[in-house]
Amino acid sequence: MTTLSAPTISAPVRTRRRRTPRLPPVLILFVLLPLAVEGFWVFWPALQGFYLSLTDWDGVSAPRWVGFGNFTELFADPIFRTALVNTAIWLVLFGGISAAGGLGLALLLQQERRGVGFYRAALFTPVVFSLVATALMWQVIYQPDGLANRLLGAIGLGSWQHSWLANSSTVLYAVLLPALWRQLGYVMVLYLAGLKGIDPVLYEAAKLDGATKIQQFRNVTWPQLRSVNSVILSVIVIDSLRSFDVVWSMTKGGPYHSSELLSTYMYSTAFQSLQLGYASALAVVIFVLAFGVIVTYLVRAFREDAS
Amino acid sequence: MDNAVLTQWGQAGLNRRRFLAGLGAVGGAALLSGCATSATSTGPVKQTSGAVTIQSNLSSPQAKVAIEALAKDFSSKGQATATVNTIASETFRTQLPSYLTADNPPDAYTWYPGSLLNGYAKKGLLLDVDEVWQGMSNYSSAFRTLSGDGAGHQIFVPTDYYWWGFFYRKSNFAKWGVAEPKTWSDFIALCKTLQGKGVAPIGVGAGGDTAWVASAWFDYLNIRINGAPYHRQLLAGQSRFDDPRVTKVFNQWNTVLPYFDPQSTALDFQDATTSLLQGRTGMMLIGTFFADAAPKDILPDLDFFQFPVLDPAVPLAEEGPADGYFASSRTAHRAEVMDWLKYVATAPAQELYIKNSSGTVLPTNPDAKDSGTPLVAKGRALLESAKELTQFFNRDSSDALQPTADSALVRFIQKPNELPSILSDWQAAAQKVWSS
Amino acid sequence: MTVTTTPVSTPLSPPALSAPALRRRRSRRLRTVGFHTVAGGLSLLWLVPIALVLLTSIRTFDDIAANGLGAAPHTFTLGGYGAAWTGGGMARAMLNSLIVTVPTVILSLVFASAAAFALSRYRVPFRRGIILLMLAGNLLPPQILLVPVFKLTELMGLYDTLPADIIVQLGFGLGFYTFVLQGFMRSIPNEIQQAAVIDGAGPVQIFVRIILPMTRPALAALSALAFTWTFNDLLWSITVLRTETVMPVTPALLGLQGQFVSSWNVIAAGWVIAAIPTVLVFLRFQKHFISGLAIGAVK
Repeated sequence: MTTLSAPTISAPVRTRRRRTPRLPPVLILFVLLPLAVEGFWVFWPALQGFYLSLTDWDGVSAPRWVGFGNFTELFADPIFRTALVNTAIWLVLFGGISAAGGLGLALLLQQERRGVGFYRAALFTPVVFSLVATALMWQVIYQPDGLANRLLGAIGLGSWQHSWLANSSTVLYAVLLPALWRQLGYVMVLYLAGLKGIDPVLYEAAKLDGATKIQQFRNVTWPQLRSVNSVILSVIVIDSLRSFDVVWSMTKGGPYHSSELLSTYMYSTAFQSLQLGYASALAVVIFVLAFGVIVTYLVRAFREDAS
Repeated sequence: MDNAVLTQWGQAGLNRRRFLAGLGAVGGAALLSGCATSATSTGPVKQTSGAVTIQSNLSSPQAKVAIEALAKDFSSKGQATATVNTIASETFRTQLPSYLTADNPPDAYTWYPGSLLNGYAKKGLLLDVDEVWQGMSNYSSAFRTLSGDGAGHQIFVPTDYYWWGFFYRKSNFAKWGVAEPKTWSDFIALCKTLQGKGVAPIGVGAGGDTAWVASAWFDYLNIRINGAPYHRQLLAGQSRFDDPRVTKVFNQWNTVLPYFDPQSTALDFQDATTSLLQGRTGMMLIGTFFADAAPKDILPDLDFFQFPVLDPAVPLAEEGPADGYFASSRTAHRAEVMDWLKYVATAPAQELYIKNSSGTVLPTNPDAKDSGTPLVAKGRALLESAKELTQFFNRDSSDALQPTADSALVRFIQKPNELPSILSDWQAAAQKVWSS
Repeated sequence: MTVTTTPVSTPLSPPALSAPALRRRRSRRLRTVGFHTVAGGLSLLWLVPIALVLLTSIRTFDDIAANGLGAAPHTFTLGGYGAAWTGGGMARAMLNSLIVTVPTVILSLVFASAAAFALSRYRVPFRRGIILLMLAGNLLPPQILLVPVFKLTELMGLYDTLPADIIVQLGFGLGFYTFVLQGFMRSIPNEIQQAAVIDGAGPVQIFVRIILPMTRPALAALSALAFTWTFNDLLWSITVLRTETVMPVTPALLGLQGQFVSSWNVIAAGWVIAAIPTVLVFLRFQKHFISGLAIGAVK
């Protein structure tokens, strides 16, 4: 990769950096204390979740050990396959659009101009409203005589009018929209913070070299955002695999599983069917998918940094 | 400024072995994992004095006021006091296992009788309320059976019940010049007339998150065609959803499907109610709770008729879901909880509740007066004329089976031609629920 | 602190107006118009659903029931707000939410930034493993951890208390916040830190005096997000709490929904009220992650 900064890395600096300094004890505390809190409240319950995925459990009586029975059952389950495909679509669309859109919005709104604070606030507001409010708003929009259809009618696209949430071929995209509506502002905020961390001197240097806006973006902004990008990628993968609340409160995964995601399917198996073992197996699948995507990326990023 | 260091923070690449070693250290904790799932202690609970906590899912404003008034009246009676703890109904449903298995569980709970409770009773989580039923000899035997755990003990105290029927606006029927149908062929004729007037004859409301209302159609067609005993067998897994008898139900349904509102699966039942009130749909098979979704001044204009009889040879059954209370076996206030349950079973308590609530429910105590409106009187007569009562799909089967019905029925309403695969998918999904 | 803000967008305009300068000025005006059209259009689009909530909140129940949720308001009333405030017990619920949110956000960010500092600026053994492990804790869908967490709070004697809600959310946020912050801290140039080391500063001083101020945009952004999430949390509250009087705002608002029928006007009003604190926090904090914290300014 050609970045402005890369060619100037000087050998002496590197050797200095490579000498391992003695680790001050206070830093060990800095790491261990948070790790202990997370360990107790997250890892311990999570390990129990892993254990439960190997059992049959109704939430009340003692769990019954079934080994990998839940997992073999999963792969024969047609609803699981639907949910898996939908989740893949979701990951690509939701993840791709919110990353690209969030960066675009951040680039647009990073400038100090009159009114920009209002625009940023407007785009962030959806993050503030939570699931029920969001679902309510969008149900109003998607009503058969709601805003979406009226708008289509008004611009002469009456033939495009749909029962968006009732139609099994449109429902997934119809629930994707509110999810994106919420996610874009959030990704934008992270990117704004990332853009602010970039040293303005770099842009000045680039401009002296006669770089165009696009070259500045390619050669300064993008490489400088690298570590922020891995944060945002992780955020997006986590959120798209766990996307749950909007879908659940709008369609519960219906009609007939056409908007079913792994997360909604897991929830309904856990809390409607009370098959907590099977639901835990689904959770493990979600975990493995998320971990797989993120680790693949991070390990590569770590390696690039190291070389 | 030298930018060299900007990208300089990398060290050795991820060391997989180290990472795994880290995981292993935490893995030791797995040995302790039994604790989250261990069954709760079963010893006798130390009894203390104090208020009875009633965990309530009656979150609609009227119902909340009504149950709080009940608690206040109970507390003013002397011996014991009660506090109501209202939790959103969806939250309540998901947290019920936690509440019941807590070391210090709430004392009494609002709920309905059915398989879920029987399951908890088998696990010893529910209080045996035989003592309360000793004072309820005037209750019908149907309620007594319904409140049993199947092993000879009573675990539930029903306080009110309601009915389902085809609701419509009297003024709209008058405007359209139509009347209540008495028979199935009348019903079809009515649908045809309404359709001719540009009105969608039958509203449903199985869209959004209320797909479950479509089950009323399945329930009623099944108890009209195959009878209530077969309906219960089917829901208990003793028959199959791809059985020819079930196909018969759907074939019958298919004959009225053309009269269903095209928005049947697009509107939730509250919006479908609005359509009905506006005269865009003619009638709607729904429970009395739907009256809460109508403006107060329209209530006197609402009326209903019975789901028409299809086969006079089949003993007449109606849906009459009951609601009430059960209690935790590990309550620390056993005597007070019994007092509460005895209290809510009395006629004055039920009258007080009905007075404060929206008033479209019927008291279970035969000596209690209902709200006395013509609509309620008609509903009472409907249920009293029935040979048998069913509860509702999820109550007669389980909450776990309900989503399988939602998928199948919504798909049938949208794509009736796919019936064979709908039924085989339904059977497969139901099989999984039954076998778990 | 607003030194050298975004040189990208503000080229210095020369005093003399040569022909190319005029052209540049015109093109700049054009760009300003273009910017406001795009940003303004997007903002409006974004605000439409929120406007719908506001419209719903000022209608009466009878209006919604008779004319439908999607119809234009036929009535105007602030009764929904009154009903939400009293019926939803919102004053108490908002207070509960604040009691939980403020300590959770502060503790989370203190713990997470300390861990992120050590992990990103020093060669802590297994640092990548630790980072991945902490992140991994956030990859499992939380719904599946609810029952174990409930048992754990009960075991600790914290069940049905607000401290339980605080500590559980602290635990579940930490991994994520640490991961985000270490990502931001990694991009801080090392030479500043080295200069401080040469001046004899210890790790705590470096953390407090140099790294924290330089991470301010990220800290501010995360605070705004963490506040929003914690304030609006549903899942953990309903898992570790069961009494109406200690419930935070989201479960309380859910309680406004009836078992069968919901007064959408009251619910919409409740959400508008509940959104006020988080919007205020965002407006207060956006200054910090927007108005340029130039690296030159700290040196």
